[in-house]
Amino acid sequence: MDYIIKYRAENKYEAQVNEALWQFLIKPEESADQTIRASEFTNSLGAAVEESTNTYGFEIVRIHPKKPFTEILFEANYLVRKDQTNPFSALDNVVNTEHYAAVESLDFKIRYERFLGSTELTILPSGKIPFIFDKQRSIFDNLQGLNTYIFKNFQFKQQVTTVTTTLEEFINQGQGVCQDFTHLFVAIARANNIPARYTSGYLHQGNGYFEESQMHAWAECYIPEKGWLGFDPANDLIALQNHIKVAHGKDYNDCAPIKGVIFSNSAKNDTNYTVEVIARKESEPDVFHPLQEFEPLPFKQQLDMQLQWQQQQQQQQEQQKQQQTYTPS
Amino acid sequence: MSETQNSIFASYEKDSKFYDEIFDEKGNVKKVYQTLFDLYSGHSSQDFAKLNEKAKASFFNQGITFQVYNDKEAKEKIFPFDLFPRIIGQKEWDVIERGVLQRSKALNHFIWDIYHDKKIIKQGIVPLDLISSSENYLHQMIGIDPPGGIYNHVSGTDLIKHSDGKYYVLEDNIRCPSGVSYVVCNRTALKRALFGVFNHYNAHSVTDYAQNLLEMMESVKPRGVDEPNCVVITPGVYNSAYYEHSYLAKAMGVELVEGRDLFVENDFVYMQTIRGPQRVDVIYRRVDDQFLDPLEFKPESMLGVPGLFSAYKNGNVCLVNAPGTGVADDKAVYTYMPQIIKYYLGEEPILNNVQTYHCSRPDDMKFVLENIDKLVIKPVDEAGGYGISIGNTLTKDEIQKVKKTIMASPRKYIAQPIMSLSVHATYIEESESFESRHVDLRTYCLLGANKDFVLKGGLTRVALKKGNLIVNSSQGGGSKDTWVLKS
Amino acid sequence: MLARVANNLFWMGRYIERAEHLARYLNVNYFSSLDAPNEKSQSRELVLHSLLFMANGPVPKDYELTEQNVFFDIGLNKDVPYSIINCVKYARENANGARDLISTELYESLNKFYHFVLNYDADFFVKKGLYDFSTQVAESTAVLRGKIRGTLLHDEVYAIIMLGVNIERATQVVRIIQSKYYDALKSQGSYGDKFSKSYEWVTLLKCIESYDMMRRYYKKTPTSISTLEFLILNRDCPRSVMNSLVQVNNHINLISRDKHPEHNSAAFLIGKTHAEYCYKTVDKIEEDVELFIEEIQDTLIEIAKKIENEYFKY
Repeated sequence: MDYIIKYRAENKYEAQVNEALWQFLIKPEESADQTIRASEFTNSLGAAVEESTNTYGFEIVRIHPKKPFTEILFEANYLVRKDQTNPFSALDNVVNTEHYAAVESLDFKIRYERFLGSTELTILPSGKIPFIFDKQRSIFDNLQGLNTYIFKNFQFKQQVTTVTTTLEEFINQGQGVCQDFTHLFVAIARANNIPARYTSGYLHQGNGYFEESQMHAWAECYIPEKGWLGFDPANDLIALQNHIKVAHGKDYNDCAPIKGVIFSNSAKNDTNYTVEVIARKESEPDVFHPLQEFEPLPFKQQLDMQLQWQQQQQQQQEQQKQQQTYTPS
Repeated sequence: MSETQNSIFASYEKDSKFYDEIFDEKGNVKKVYQTLFDLYSGHSSQDFAKLNEKAKASFFNQGITFQVYNDKEAKEKIFPFDLFPRIIGQKEWDVIERGVLQRSKALNHFIWDIYHDKKIIKQGIVPLDLISSSENYLHQMIGIDPPGGIYNHVSGTDLIKHSDGKYYVLEDNIRCPSGVSYVVCNRTALKRALFGVFNHYNAHSVTDYAQNLLEMMESVKPRGVDEPNCVVITPGVYNSAYYEHSYLAKAMGVELVEGRDLFVENDFVYMQTIRGPQRVDVIYRRVDDQFLDPLEFKPESMLGVPGLFSAYKNGNVCLVNAPGTGVADDKAVYTYMPQIIKYYLGEEPILNNVQTYHCSRPDDMKFVLENIDKLVIKPVDEAGGYGISIGNTLTKDEIQKVKKTIMASPRKYIAQPIMSLSVHATYIEESESFESRHVDLRTYCLLGANKDFVLKGGLTRVALKKGNLIVNSSQGGGSKDTWVLKS
Repeated sequence: MLARVANNLFWMGRYIERAEHLARYLNVNYFSSLDAPNEKSQSRELVLHSLLFMANGPVPKDYELTEQNVFFDIGLNKDVPYSIINCVKYARENANGARDLISTELYESLNKFYHFVLNYDADFFVKKGLYDFSTQVAESTAVLRGKIRGTLLHDEVYAIIMLGVNIERATQVVRIIQSKYYDALKSQGSYGDKFSKSYEWVTLLKCIESYDMMRRYYKKTPTSISTLEFLILNRDCPRSVMNSLVQVNNHINLISRDKHPEHNSAAFLIGKTHAEYCYKTVDKIEEDVELFIEEIQDTLIEIAKKIENEYFKY
């Protein structure tokens, strides 16, 4: 399956901004089951796009406009191909006591130290572990149980938490967004000695699903012999084909999609982020915008192009018809 | 002391509980101090009062001061300078120098290891908890290879002499040890005030520190750079150590920059000059880890440079000291120093460690709670003498309080026997005479790529309050010029 | 050199220079008014008004013009930005920011100066200390000038400081000319004391420490025209606008190193202004003194702005 991901961030400032710097961590990663077929990143000021990697090796871009401005628009488009995998095939529901022994070993604890400790955003209030793993069941079983436990006990609600909300606050109010669900999942898994990392990315929720939405978050846990597996506690899902991963880290702070430093006399601003994920067939051409302009081409090539566009238009219409057949996750 | 019953030493009290740097057990002046003592005895107390005033005025006029903030406004204060120098003989110094360098190197190996393979933990020599529960362990540093493999380029090891006459290490400061500018200023001030005394001794110069610091910095330049552009970064003019930052930049002849002077482009660091951007290769940073880069650490930091860490990670700039060294000057790591030295260097430690009890270990904790009155309780991650409780000075209520604090967070505290810092003759303004006061010694050690250097001298810090054992300047301490003799 | 540090050096120079002119104007203008030959020049109100105008421009209507108010505000009031104490404080703060680049000797002198001003008894100053304080301030600035000249390498650091010093000097000299020009207008009339022969011209010259130089040069009693010519156009008078422009021109050339500066650059504007002054005559200036003052003030502001934009951006 292919996905087109459209990321848009629009910032308007009340006062002139003399200097600013942004760092984006929004590009889907390249991995065994995920490849990027095309990508572009633009900004309305035409400032140079600097590419680098973050601490975990994920690709980031930085924008550092040299001239004063009052508004800027960032747009990113990614075309991602996801391969179908079935993680269940590799997993056993049978208890494997060796796995529990393994996670208790010093070598294991040293190797996964990074994803076993707590951070400010993943400290369990008063050190209490609300979900203790049942060692009569497999680690995978327990993690699935944890996924369901969080999904059932917390309500998904926007605008009640922020990116700095602690687990204590989240647990007390019982409501929050995917970040909060994920932080809690990660904290509990770690408290049960299972390495867990915060994962950011995009979630395909069905074509046409388009509103002010931001990036998604879920957790990845390391299961001995099996490797890292994604759990989405906000939806009580295993992260599979519809989860397009961007980055992972200890918590949100390692994965913040946008970080900025603004030098201005007034901090007042109006920001607007939208994320759109569109699924389509792999056979479609690798372009983002059917109507995008091309350099003038020789006549023959132009004809071919036109043909391609027509096909593409048709396919899009078909896709829209098929829309109902996608099951929103 | 009978024959030298000079008025300026009249109120010098001797206490056999402490090691006296000036007088031996019989009350005779020690050999290295004899000349000094004779010369000083020739001065009247009025002479010293005058010299003391002059020296103070000189520090004040040169602006070698730090700001003290009270409710109304900032007041400038000088770091008190003492007229009686400390003298360390060549043999004694030799041990210190080798010992300090040994620790520095061992710590560097240790830091490299805990940010890479963590062998020392795997082999069970130090517990995993030492890093996993340390706030100063920076995950961002995992797997990074700093230029030259050096982390603690600048180390400041604090030593004391106990009543047994032996040196003990109190702590190793490997974040941003400060005070070296005072070593140089103290020397200048003492030479000016008492030139007739200094020229009777053959002491090592201390002014070569800056040159060695620069050479060290140049030795850890990023790959692909011929002549590195080195700078010192300061939090700014309001920082209490700003004088030192400006001194070091000036003495090395390099730029003193603030975060706002620098910017990062495509993972290279540049400074804004009057002729446009100029690349920066090595940064002696006097800004704490958490403030270095708002994109990577504290996002609200205005002192740092956005993107600096990324440039560092990509090997395009060298930070001196490396971020994340703080994990190893944790006082909990200190207790493992003998094992750490043995593990990495295969050597016996040259300098003694003070016996330390970890409150995180149940047995130690039990001992500590039962013997608080005989111990010093220290938080593991505080600097500047803050949060220290000295058992034999506490009331019963205070002891109860301390017990509670320890039990609430055992990992945060260690305890050590009350060490008797040695005493030294120190000029006391109130009595216009020399009295005995407790001293310690901060040493300065540089590590570079194929370059190491220990400053032959150091900062002898003195607790000016009678009987006080805490020498930090924030706790009313002063300092002495320290002479290391050539022969 | 760092752009920020250059900015610090530039302003350190300006504030030192500003403190000097404030102190001297306070001193000379006040004391010479005490026994001025005509009544109007003796008027307390005229002189206090003149002092305040020089320090801070037009005087607010509700300002209570008493000696103690005016002295305190110009000398030691920490709450008004134009006071001498604040000039010295700002000079030192700027020196702090560039401490690694300036000599220990210069810093020490400035630091001592700062503490002298900071610790000066305000009550004593407004009642008895006017002469003592203003003389010591003027002397301290002379010491600083000597240290700038004698203890710094004459390279970019020096050039930037001197740019600040000379732009400020020209600015202050013009400001003083402006104040005394108004004083001369106000005090004319009595005893046939015409505008052109006003006693205020002598005071003006003394306020800029140029009276003796002027007498040597013209060997005549100063008149409006000879005073303006001397203070604006005389190349050899170290306090003249012309002399300042010559120095500004030399120092910008050291920094810009550009033989053909762009038309909108600081170096170009400075060169152009300098060239204009080479061929200016005093009769043109005298036709409309106010216009001249306005123009040169605008030009100096423009020059400073361009320097800031080109060299001090960080």
